[in-house]
Amino acid sequence: MHSEQSFILNNVWLIPAIPFLSFLTLGLLIRNFPKKLQDQLSGIVATLAVFSAAVLAYWLAWEYFHLFPAGVAKQALVPWSFEWLRYQENLAVNVGVLVDPISVLLMVVVTTVSSLVHLYSTGYMHGDPGYARYFTWLNLFTFSMLGLVVSPNILQMYVCWELVGASSFLLIGFYFEKPSAVSASKKAFIVTRFADLGFLLGVILLGYYGYNLFASVAPSLHASGLTNVQPFDFAFLTNPEVMNQFMGMSDTFMGMGVLTLSMVLIFMGAAGKSAMFPLHIWLPDAMEGPTPVSALIHAATMVVAGVYLVARMFPVFAASADALLVVMYVGAFTALFAAVIGCTQDDIKRVLAFSTLSQLGYMMFALGVSSMDHPLGYTASMFHLFTHAFFKALLFLGAGALIHAVHSNSIWDMGGLAKKMPVTHATVLIATLAIAGIYPLAGFFSKDEILVAALESGHTGVFAIGLLVAGITAFYMFRIYFVAFWGKPSHHSEHAHEAPISMLIPLIVLAIFTIGAGFVPMADLVSIGHSAGGHHGINWAVAGPSLFVAAAGISFAWFMYVAGGKQRSAALAGALGGVYTTIKQKFYFDEIYLFITKKIVFRFIATPIAWFDRNVVDGGVNLSGWLTRASGAALNSTQTGQVQTYGAWFVGGAVTVTLVLWIFFL
Amino acid sequence: MSDFFLSPVGLQHWLVVSTALFSIGIYGLLTRRNAVGILMAVELLLNSTSLNFVIFNKFATPSAVDGQIMSIFIIAVAAAEVVVGMAIFVTLFKHRKTVDVTSMNLLKN
Amino acid sequence: MDNFVSDILFYVFAAFSISLAMLVVTTRRILRAAVYLMCVLGASAAFFILLGAEFLAGVQILVYIGGIVVLLVFAVMLTRSVDLLEERPTLVRKAIGGLAALSFFGTTALILTSTTFPVLRGGPLPPNNTAALGKKLLDYGSEGFVLPFEIISLLLLTAVIGGIVIARKTSVEKGGN
Repeated sequence: MHSEQSFILNNVWLIPAIPFLSFLTLGLLIRNFPKKLQDQLSGIVATLAVFSAAVLAYWLAWEYFHLFPAGVAKQALVPWSFEWLRYQENLAVNVGVLVDPISVLLMVVVTTVSSLVHLYSTGYMHGDPGYARYFTWLNLFTFSMLGLVVSPNILQMYVCWELVGASSFLLIGFYFEKPSAVSASKKAFIVTRFADLGFLLGVILLGYYGYNLFASVAPSLHASGLTNVQPFDFAFLTNPEVMNQFMGMSDTFMGMGVLTLSMVLIFMGAAGKSAMFPLHIWLPDAMEGPTPVSALIHAATMVVAGVYLVARMFPVFAASADALLVVMYVGAFTALFAAVIGCTQDDIKRVLAFSTLSQLGYMMFALGVSSMDHPLGYTASMFHLFTHAFFKALLFLGAGALIHAVHSNSIWDMGGLAKKMPVTHATVLIATLAIAGIYPLAGFFSKDEILVAALESGHTGVFAIGLLVAGITAFYMFRIYFVAFWGKPSHHSEHAHEAPISMLIPLIVLAIFTIGAGFVPMADLVSIGHSAGGHHGINWAVAGPSLFVAAAGISFAWFMYVAGGKQRSAALAGALGGVYTTIKQKFYFDEIYLFITKKIVFRFIATPIAWFDRNVVDGGVNLSGWLTRASGAALNSTQTGQVQTYGAWFVGGAVTVTLVLWIFFL
Repeated sequence: MSDFFLSPVGLQHWLVVSTALFSIGIYGLLTRRNAVGILMAVELLLNSTSLNFVIFNKFATPSAVDGQIMSIFIIAVAAAEVVVGMAIFVTLFKHRKTVDVTSMNLLKN
Repeated sequence: MDNFVSDILFYVFAAFSISLAMLVVTTRRILRAAVYLMCVLGASAAFFILLGAEFLAGVQILVYIGGIVVLLVFAVMLTRSVDLLEERPTLVRKAIGGLAALSFFGTTALILTSTTFPVLRGGPLPPNNTAALGKKLLDYGSEGFVLPFEIISLLLLTAVIGGIVIARKTSVEKGGN
């Protein structure tokens, strides 16, 4: 395509391949080494592998955005692919690497956060008995996530989607001797698997109609330069011509158009992975895993896979207004819902988990409010994904440092840590300001852009929710900040001291990113649809109120937890009474799910099915076994062991066959 | 039936004779108790087959001799078969002191 | 006239051959069975002459009667069945055998008699067919049988060696069972 194409653009496959090779080395080779050598090697190998992938990713981003600078339409390149499955002439599935703005963006985010988390983990996990196993799974996760990001077709994405789910399962259940970790990993796996069922159905539905269209559309696609395109490729599914055909389809199912139905199903998968309401219940529990894992998987990368999927399929979503509305409402509701719960939690990681939910809701509704004609929300969503990854990973790693110091997750056990852990304090403050949306930190720019997009799209209600959530976010983030760093020291935090240098470096690097990421001209890099290009600038009509709201949230937090001490917050909680308890119990969603699964599904579906299985199915199996034995016993007597008997049978058979042939066929 | 006997001897007469010999061989194969007797019955079968070849040679392709050649082959194979059969029975006799096939039912059930 | 004589001879030999064959399979004295078998095979040689295959008749007498039957007699001797009066087969066995044989005969005879074969010529074979036989057997052209001939010779060799290996004084006593 371009003769001056550089090494990295032709060899993008290296970026996922390096963590994969490292995973294999760790999992197959190093695990056989003696324990001591294993611990020394595994951290170094894993970290170096991911760091080199990160270097390549930055190189790729540099080359790609130089190849397509601002104002130039960005092409999606597939520099490397091979045929994986071929079912027939018109139906093949390739494995390959797709390079386009959002995949480059995600590669940068994933490798950056992952390498910093690896580095952090060498300190955080030091001395853990499962040290080598930890890095093996972490590498597997990095590989799967990169594979997901670069997928050029929806089936490869589905495979990697399940792979990240599996590695997330393995890492949540890393402390498998703890029953709570085991049940949390099971919960995460089952809930996301349930959502993936929808995803798979959506893929199949889309693939079926896509395949039926393929033969008629393929010639013109080939003519327009899209050679070697297959029905499952994003390039095919998001092609305008294909979309027109889809929209023209009159097939409906339960009153929904095929396109809407498949998009809603695919969004179900995305909602499961991104923990959107009502499939959010697994994410807070997933905090049972080691804290760096929470930072990498459950804050920065895997949970944004759902957002990424919606962004990847955005043209298709945009073609179905109803599906996009679903995305918007689910996103906005989750943002508010999770933010409210976040105000009441005491476990620092759970607060961060709910804040992640809330921010993911932001990204989702940003996608929901945009369209192909007004793609600002798309850009804003990707921008927020980008900035959120850094400041949320920083918050988690900072929380990890706090937990490491005080050996407790509860914010009330911390307190007075500002002086004892100055570096952690400074970096966490930066991240907290960023998530609260204070100028000029990263969160301000992306959140501002999302709010502008919501306002411009005309969904005023959603804009209002976004603004409200910004205030709540500022409140609960500063709540944990004030309590942990400024509050009264507890007996836990008296002997706390600063984390080791390997944990501090990632914090500092992420803090730098958090400060700088907002100035990335995202509108020049990532956009879609018709009105491409043109940096928006800061819309002070929106930024002003949002800054004001954030400041109000911070002040309220100061008023409640610094000026008022514990009594005032307790008084407020007492005044709210049942409402407070309901929120603190996360609106009893876990209990509702338990009720539905245990009382309804188990009793009225699973138990009868079990009975059916035990009596009818097993009975059938037993019957066939009995029949076989009985007929065997009956036929046994024909086996006299005497050759002459067999000879008689043989002659009889030959005569019968001859007669039959002669009578019926001659 | 009477037509059959009144008409001059032709292909079908010959074939009926050879079939009769074959059937008698089958009877012997299925009823003899002595293994050597079974071997004799097998010789009857082979002989009737060889006879068949010659019959068809004469009536179907009188100008060629392929049927006779097959007959020669059958005789040779019969000789080989008797050699091996005899060896087996002799060994069997050494081991079990009998060649009564009804007592050989190791394959039973 | 010539045809009439050969027809008579056919019926005579057929009756002779079939009745002796029945004796072969029913007699209780195994050595007698061998003698009857010899007679049946001799009758077959006569059939061959009637059919114009003189060479084959010679082979039949030399190999079958001279070789195979002698081998069978050896087998009888070696298995000490000479003085043994073979036990009668049970009635069931007889019935089964008879049924099988009769059904086979009935079916085959029925099919054979109701089928019209494309008979070219009922006459005798050309007189020099022995020479043709020899030529054909050793001809290595596309019509020849030299390859099967060689294979048969190999088979005979194998059978001879195999027979010796199986029947030689095995080491039963030494526990080689």
